[in-house]
Amino acid sequence: MTNLAQARNEQIESYLTGLDGALRGVGREERDEILREIRTHILDSLPDNPEAGVETVLRALGAPERLAEQYQTEFLLTQASRSFSPWLLLSTAWRWAHTGIRGFAVFMVAMVGYTMALGFLVTVLLKPFLPNRIGLWVGHGNFVFGATSQGSGVHDVLGSLYIPVTMLLAFGTAVGTTHALRWLMRTRRRPAR
Amino acid sequence: MAGNNNGERGQHWEAQLRKGCLEMAILSSLWTGRLYGLEILRRLANKSHLEVAEGTVYPILARLKAEGLLQSEWVEAEAGHPRKYYWLTASGRRRAQEMAEAWNDFSASLAVLVGPVLKGK
Repeated sequence: MTNLAQARNEQIESYLTGLDGALRGVGREERDEILREIRTHILDSLPDNPEAGVETVLRALGAPERLAEQYQTEFLLTQASRSFSPWLLLSTAWRWAHTGIRGFAVFMVAMVGYTMALGFLVTVLLKPFLPNRIGLWVGHGNFVFGATSQGSGVHDVLGSLYIPVTMLLAFGTAVGTTHALRWLMRTRRRPAR
Repeated sequence: MAGNNNGERGQHWEAQLRKGCLEMAILSSLWTGRLYGLEILRRLANKSHLEVAEGTVYPILARLKAEGLLQSEWVEAEAGHPRKYYWLTASGRRRAQEMAEAWNDFSASLAVLVGPVLKGK
């Protein structure tokens, strides 16, 4: 093996090692498949660039970390779009948010939806301890769902129904957000580069 | 200065448009038969002038396969090394057709709108 060929092989191996390390979170079998395909791509591309050499081919592929990030985003989006786990949906939306405006918008939907559901749940838990502060307060043109200060001329229209109604609202908001996120991830376009 | 900004925005818009069409372009490139990654990249460049970053296509191929739109197989070459060939599954063909039809309708309706703009060149 000539020195030139050896140096070329070392560059390829170094790139693939970097890619392997950056593909954390992707299963071993899928990772090996990715590395094999990228190695084939590099070897196939070399004859097109005999003068430019391996640097040009590797540069065209992008940094290993960047390439790995695209794989992870694609895999996670596919996985999350089939999942009902709010945690997986939220963490995937967070990763997607780093890749473009659409991802960011989806992350905001996730944040607003799940925060609202959590907020409803917190008021349900507080209701037994603060019965005169938590409710659906109406009066004098005011409409407050949740906590309000006493003596502001408003009255609680739900009373004892507050807990079941708010539990339903929390559940409905969480389920609605989950379905919206699954739909947005299924119908996504490729994340912007 | 403003002219430069407009030019940059125009290029950015065109780049986003091309990226948005990438999934349809990849599925369409496989309509006539099986291809491996580099062949897909070359077909995109030759047939549609879609000069996409090489590292962008492989993660999309992996996802389209995970979604059941593509199937793949390593094939030994007579000379050289094995290559991973992709082809459309039945649902991949359906998706490609739906996308092509939607694209056709969309571009036809927009052509009416942009026609006068082009004539004013």
